[in-house]
Amino acid sequence: MPKRKLDPLPAAAFQILLALTDGDRHGYSIMRQVEEQTSGKMRLGPGTLYSSIQAMLEAELIEEATRRGDVEPGHERRRYYRLTAAGRKRARSEAERLADVLRVARARKILRGDYV
Amino acid sequence: MSEKVCALLLRLYPAEFREAYGDEAIQLIHDRARDEQGMWAKLRLWIDLAADLATVLPRAHRRAAPVRATVSPQSIGVAPRFHVLQPATPRLSAVAYGGILSAVAFGALFLWFGYSRNYRELHTWQGPTKHDLIALSFSGRHSNVRRESEMPLAAVANPERKIEVSGRPAHTLLSSWQGGSEPSGFHAMGLLPGGPQSSVEPQSAQPNVQAATAAMIEASSSHDVVMLGEVHGDKQEYQWLNQLVMNREFSRRVDDIVVEFGNSLYQKSVDRYIGGQEVPIEQVEKAWRNMIGAVGPPSPLYGEFYAAVRAANMKNRGKHQMRIVLGDPYGDWEKIKDAEDLGPYLAHRDEWYAQVVKDEVLAKKHHALLIMGSGHFLRRNGPALVESTIRAAGADPYLIVMGTNAVGGYDNLDQRFDSWPIPAIIALAGNWVGDLPAMPVVSGGTAPATPLKLSAAADALLYVGSRDSLVEVRMPGAELDGTPYGNEIARRLAIQMGHPAHLVFGQTEVPQFPRPQPPPQPTSGARPPLLPMPKSIHDPLPPRPPSQ
Repeated sequence: MPKRKLDPLPAAAFQILLALTDGDRHGYSIMRQVEEQTSGKMRLGPGTLYSSIQAMLEAELIEEATRRGDVEPGHERRRYYRLTAAGRKRARSEAERLADVLRVARARKILRGDYV
Repeated sequence: MSEKVCALLLRLYPAEFREAYGDEAIQLIHDRARDEQGMWAKLRLWIDLAADLATVLPRAHRRAAPVRATVSPQSIGVAPRFHVLQPATPRLSAVAYGGILSAVAFGALFLWFGYSRNYRELHTWQGPTKHDLIALSFSGRHSNVRRESEMPLAAVANPERKIEVSGRPAHTLLSSWQGGSEPSGFHAMGLLPGGPQSSVEPQSAQPNVQAATAAMIEASSSHDVVMLGEVHGDKQEYQWLNQLVMNREFSRRVDDIVVEFGNSLYQKSVDRYIGGQEVPIEQVEKAWRNMIGAVGPPSPLYGEFYAAVRAANMKNRGKHQMRIVLGDPYGDWEKIKDAEDLGPYLAHRDEWYAQVVKDEVLAKKHHALLIMGSGHFLRRNGPALVESTIRAAGADPYLIVMGTNAVGGYDNLDQRFDSWPIPAIIALAGNWVGDLPAMPVVSGGTAPATPLKLSAAADALLYVGSRDSLVEVRMPGAELDGTPYGNEIARRLAIQMGHPAHLVFGQTEVPQFPRPQPPPQPTSGARPPLLPMPKSIHDPLPPRPPSQ
């Protein structure tokens, strides 16, 4: 099966990487974290979430974390994911790229009137 | 119920996806259904699921599509030949082989072009042509004024003439105030009798042409202070500077960037902005929009440079941070009502800049990049005021000035520059670049040659492109035409020139060094009076107010 392209990094994949920067998370936790860090603008559906996870696993940007010992009853289906060093590096470079874009936008005064 | 529906929906996905993530997907929907109570929340959940399905399903099936074998149209011999296409990443060996082939091909092309150019150089360099000498003679009569003061002087010559928006923070009016009947500037160094000398010897040593960023990092390592004599509003120059400050090696070595294009009155706001704090841009931009030394609106490139330094600091948060130190005097345009109010600030621009460097850089034992117009930094008869002041305070600065390939008159362009990488920095001691006459090179051929050689005027040359490729970026007319800031610029021009001025808005990108034109002839036939010199230029700087 062809690998899904992650260059450029899709917005959903970038948000998932950001969600994993502060620790291992399972799918639902990732979805909630993404919703929180985008102020509710992005709610990942199961298809988007897991196809992104699959692509990033293949690209070794994330990896499956070992199952935690304190699995709650009914949560056996959960798998936890964690950021790899490559994933952290990729998230950083994507953030820098966006910062550059933002800098240009600010300089072009597209964001006038707001705090910058 | 929702779990059952989801299980049915999941069957729409490819089997591979279902096997890998089916359970987790159902768990996720289960969790959402548990946490999102209420009719609206439930409705939103189903809308999300439908949207997700519509978005992802086609892609998932495309990805899961079986790989097809294709038959070659060629059938050679008795048996058909098949090619099976399989998506796969290129093998490392294939990439390496391709890379080597590309390198060999590019290397051969590069060598071929390099030899061709050298061959032309030796046979075409014959010094200034007759045409050049005529052009230089012309410029000797009419262009013996620093470029920075062209605009106000032209306006004095014809008060009715409309003022073109320059965008260039034209320097000081002091050349017209202090220069008597002949404004000072390039002319002060004197023209050679009979035209410029050709000081270029083809046999001179070849220069060491370095990539500009690497050379600047090297200079910043070997010298506590690097001075960059800039060309105001030059697009290519500031593109490079914006990249330079983002370079980790540079940002690690340099503590301060002292700029001419920043009014010291606003240091506090700029410190917060450059440090990454949230500051209204309307407050920060006062630093470059309210410069004392500018005549006309400033180039938008300056604001972009501030933003680039801020972005570099934010990128390196928690690590070494750079600071922009404002070197323009702290005059408050809201309180400047006439030329007498302005005089002390204009008269002490270089002194104040040097004082800022002493206080904010040298006293703190910092490493700094100083950026100011080339006219302020060029060594004419020895170091200029800023350099001599900081040398007296113990600094040993390295001076780089920006220049182009204009080596004689306006039409005398040196093709040897064409083979250099862009941008480049070239040390000037002991090579043919250092032997070039300084003034045409730093003025793009708009100022005549004088005996001053580049190697005497600076330590190194910054080359960002051929003269005719250089672009000056001006403030868009939309920011000035009928706006409060445009009205304020007109008010400042009236103070600076002694009569009302009208702004005319042209293109935002224009040639950096256009061919010099003769000034308009005064209608009365007599030379118009120069702007009277305010008495206050002999006054010391007023006390510095608190920073805003």
